[in-house]
Amino acid sequence: MSHVDEAGLARLAAAGDGDAFGALVERYGGQARRVARSILGIGEDADDAVQDGMIAAWRAIGRYDPGRPFRPWLMRIVANAALDLGRRRKVRQAGPIPESAESSFVAPDRATDHVLFREEFRAALETLPERQRVAVVLFDAEGYSHAEIAEVLKVPEGTVRSYVFHARRALRRALGAFQEEAP
Amino acid sequence: MSEQSAFDNSPDPELGAQLRAALDTADGDLFVARLRQTVLAAGREDSWDVLSRWAPRGLVAAIAAAALLWMVARPEPVAPAGPMASAPMQMEVAPQHPEAAVLTVAILEGR
Repeated sequence: MSHVDEAGLARLAAAGDGDAFGALVERYGGQARRVARSILGIGEDADDAVQDGMIAAWRAIGRYDPGRPFRPWLMRIVANAALDLGRRRKVRQAGPIPESAESSFVAPDRATDHVLFREEFRAALETLPERQRVAVVLFDAEGYSHAEIAEVLKVPEGTVRSYVFHARRALRRALGAFQEEAP
Repeated sequence: MSEQSAFDNSPDPELGAQLRAALDTADGDLFVARLRQTVLAAGREDSWDVLSRWAPRGLVAAIAAAALLWMVARPEPVAPAGPMASAPMQMEVAPQHPEAAVLTVAILEGR
């Protein structure tokens, strides 16, 4: 199956070929996990959302139009599963914000190694609105076009450009501050 | 972080790499292998699943449509035919008033 391109795999999967859909899961599983984690953070919730989204996609594969790109279709289902789970989690966890959550940014003078740098970056990412996170991850990390992201998030392309712009600016500002203040 | 502007229309490879590193963990391959297995084991929705999901709604819609059709197209109730039933109708709808002589006879006989 590895020699078949995405469109070919999607056509086979739409016709009910489990091996073809399995190959698509292998191809996009990591990407789907990053998208879900950009919404829900690293943890079991994100993995559950990816699993729910992939199962939903496999069950709905008969409704996929093979004439359209597959990955935005798949990623939309996964992103929706993660957004839904996030909403349910927020309802469950509604309550006063703990004082420790006011600033998730670790003091820069302690962030001296690679692991802490990554934690800083994650913290900066988590401060963004969830749709901005999805947009910047899909655009800069996964190489999606603005049009594809618009398809995933079901918003106009101009809105996606705005999401990416604001997310990049916030991430660069946070990381610039981190790099300046790090010893 | 690269020197690209936030307005750039092309992906920033350095930012992309930072994002992937921030969101990936070492168990990525294991996760994808397990995911593949779970998804395919869950099975596809076949046409019976689709039908069974739609059946209750379809049944309600069919009953409602049949009731509406019956209300619109039902025949008017027909009165039973016969001399007893038709006589008063004929009297009520008599096209002419009775003549004065007939009325006078009736009054006299009643006396």
